[in-house]
Amino acid sequence: MTKVVVSEVWKMYGKVPAVRDLSFSCESGEFLCVLGPSGCGKSSTLRMLAGLEHISAGEITFDGKRINELPPKDRDIAMVFENYALYPHKTVGDNMANALKLRGMPAAEIKTRVDRAAAMLQIGHLLDRRPMELSGGQKQRVAIGRAIVRSPKVFLFDEPIGHLDAKLRGHMRGELKRLQRELATTTIYVTHDQLEALSMADRIAVMNEGVLQQIGTPQDIYNHPANEWVASFVGEPPMNFLDAEVVTTGSETDLEVRCGALRVRLSDAHRHRLEGVRGGMRLGIRPEALQVAGAAPGADWTAGTIYAVEPLGGDTLVEVAFQGGRVLAKTGADFRGEMDAPIFVTVDSTKLHLFDASNGRALT
Amino acid sequence: MLQTLTTDFRTPRAAPSALNTAPSQRYYVYLLAPAILLLAAISLYPFFWLIYMSLHQVSMSPNQPDVWVGLANYAKLLSDKRYLEGWRLLVVYSVSCMILQVGLGLLLALVLNNSRWEKPLVTVFLMPMMMAPVIAGLVWFYLYNGTFGWYNWVLQSLGILSGTSILGSTSTAMIGIVVVDTWQWTPLITLIVLAGLKRVPQDQLEAHMVDGAGAVRNFFAIVLPNLYPFLLIAVLLRFMDNFRFIDAILRLTGGGPANSTKVLPVYLFEVSFTNFNLGYGAAIAFTLLVVTIVIGMVLVSAFTQPSLQQKH
Repeated sequence: MTKVVVSEVWKMYGKVPAVRDLSFSCESGEFLCVLGPSGCGKSSTLRMLAGLEHISAGEITFDGKRINELPPKDRDIAMVFENYALYPHKTVGDNMANALKLRGMPAAEIKTRVDRAAAMLQIGHLLDRRPMELSGGQKQRVAIGRAIVRSPKVFLFDEPIGHLDAKLRGHMRGELKRLQRELATTTIYVTHDQLEALSMADRIAVMNEGVLQQIGTPQDIYNHPANEWVASFVGEPPMNFLDAEVVTTGSETDLEVRCGALRVRLSDAHRHRLEGVRGGMRLGIRPEALQVAGAAPGADWTAGTIYAVEPLGGDTLVEVAFQGGRVLAKTGADFRGEMDAPIFVTVDSTKLHLFDASNGRALT
Repeated sequence: MLQTLTTDFRTPRAAPSALNTAPSQRYYVYLLAPAILLLAAISLYPFFWLIYMSLHQVSMSPNQPDVWVGLANYAKLLSDKRYLEGWRLLVVYSVSCMILQVGLGLLLALVLNNSRWEKPLVTVFLMPMMMAPVIAGLVWFYLYNGTFGWYNWVLQSLGILSGTSILGSTSTAMIGIVVVDTWQWTPLITLIVLAGLKRVPQDQLEAHMVDGAGAVRNFFAIVLPNLYPFLLIAVLLRFMDNFRFIDAILRLTGGGPANSTKVLPVYLFEVSFTNFNLGYGAAIAFTLLVVTIVIGMVLVSAFTQPSLQQKH
């Protein structure tokens, strides 16, 4: 059980900063996902934690002990690489035993540990094969097996299931989460796939362009994105963004957000957020916060036309064009509608996201 | 209105008895024929002519026919001390060259790999290789010269060499020719190993470091196994060259002094083209050829061993 603290860390490649002033901590036993698009500095961060990359500035500690100068072998970490990095000339068993052999563990103990890890991952029957004889999913299990035989202080995962097909990836998400809870080892997991981060992590650190954007629980990140960028990166289908205007209707406290024909009366809960904000801002609406109907059931509904319909089996995405904008709404599988047919749309005003138009920060 | 066509999955029947005929391949045989004929003329004909000569006493005069002697030339080989000594010297020569060149080449490649000066230095190191071997022999012949040779002077000034010259003494002449071959061909090994080093998978190195290995262990466990196929190519090339190329040796020592550098190919040259004993020379050449082919095949078969197949 180890607490990892990253404080004010920078990574420079020449004069180009890859990681800028990064600070976060990972509690002991926690599963932390670092989420971001490619080139956001998440892999550099992981490699600095592993000791494979020099830390340009700042400090990383494991349980309060500075590890900046320690070579990888002395950090007591285990890492699972994106392309598995198995040793092709060694059998699966030897691949898993390698780290233990290098540490001079007795052969009997090594065998016990390898067998236990292999049983856990259901790869016991593969121990005598070589990596080239394995499928992608099996290789990935061996790579994880190689990491867990060690019982290290910290697990580092670098997009370990990125190369698997969608079905196997879904399966492995559950398995990895279960495994991490069972082993209760501090885990830092890098991915660009928001689904992996949301489904597995205790907390998610979202990064963009080398800068930490937000750190929090998956619910926090999804429901209360810190800025427009996080809101746009997390969520599938992506959030709708509209340039909108806040206007008073009637009394000073009666606020309405307007974007063309779309008008949303703000609930009491949201009203305080807009204190002092008048005029232009950015409005974010998740597709599931929108409702559509063929005929207007009430006054709060905005008239528009169907731009496109995308049935996804389980539910249907409807793109609605209205005067002044276009939004994507998620609705039931039973939705029927033709392109260009009239449609009405309304927004659940408790699920609005409001962002400052000038800097993208969430208005809270 | 779109129409949807629903069909059941079709269960495949038994494979059809008659398959569509594939286009004829005979066409390609005709296209290849000229090349095969040319290859036969320039490669197979001399090979069989070599066997023919080795079984005859070959006459140098157009009026006298060759005399069939059967295996007499081969029988003579077994009692020819020069022939057997030629083999011993060839083994000493090529094994020394191989060890020095692979060792130095590997070391140089490791030092040069990813260094700031890699490109300019590799260019400089390649220069000896671009020289014709006979020219290299000539250059070193003067460098070794007992009267005005620079190396000779340095070694004598340091007291390493007494009155004799390097190529003039039976104890140092072999070292002399090994040094020249090493000087000229180490760059080739360096070049091949450098190419191999670029292919060593970085992620395996990193995984091994995380597993707990230091630099030395990393080299032996990851770098070297990944380099084996490249080293094998280098060894194969150099070994075949050492068995065939004698330009530099002929220029440097001509096999002397006192036959101390008369490796088998030099002896073969002497028998065939100095003494013009073509039948006997052909027998020597045939044995040399067979040994070269066998060793070459052993090395090539090592490529196909599963333990050397690195790529997934």
